[in-house]
Amino acid sequence: MAVAIALRVRFFARLREQAGTETVAIQVAPGSTLADVYDVLRQRHPALESDRTAVRGAINQEFAAWTAPVSDDDEVAFIPPVSGGC
Amino acid sequence: MTTGPLDARELEAAVTHPGAGAICTFTGIVRDNSRGQSVTHLDYEAFAEMAVPQMRKIGDDIKSRWPGARVAMAHRTGHLEIGEASVVVCVSAPHREEAIAACRWGIDTLKESVPIWKKEHAADGTFWIEGHEAKPAG
Repeated sequence: MAVAIALRVRFFARLREQAGTETVAIQVAPGSTLADVYDVLRQRHPALESDRTAVRGAINQEFAAWTAPVSDDDEVAFIPPVSGGC
Repeated sequence: MTTGPLDARELEAAVTHPGAGAICTFTGIVRDNSRGQSVTHLDYEAFAEMAVPQMRKIGDDIKSRWPGARVAMAHRTGHLEIGEASVVVCVSAPHREEAIAACRWGIDTLKESVPIWKKEHAADGTFWIEGHEAKPAG
């Protein structure tokens, strides 16, 4: 069993500005959920949005629930409410 | 998804065919005001690897909800000036009712679900638009 799960994390729009970076590589404990990943990132990047209801997570380019487990080599993205169109 | 100007006529040409009696095209344009403030320009940012599949899914959903419809859509990213087109959704169908309904559903669904964000440069500052909210940009 793996001792840690390696993830690539991407931030977009306001969250990218808050994190001060577009991508980070992190390791989390096996069994971690998307919510756990966000909590770890908030400790590293305290400016990140504290209200998780204003953020959505995606795993491998698909929206996912906060309770969704992450796996080794996943690409995780944190996404503010969208505003495309006009 | 493109950083260059959008051409609605090009999208219309892509959906036109002999069985299509109607083409409905929606073009979203950068407006010079928002929230009661004047706007100088916009920047759009996209999560392209996720946005493009989401746009394809909207096209597939339109084709199953409105049989016979053909769909083309494009979104621009990067720096946009007032009066430039940010998005075009184009649907052809046998009759006008389906073309108009499907086009409207397409732009509404795009606005709700496709990971693209608008940064507004306005007289009172720079804001990320998040749904119906404007939040100060860094």
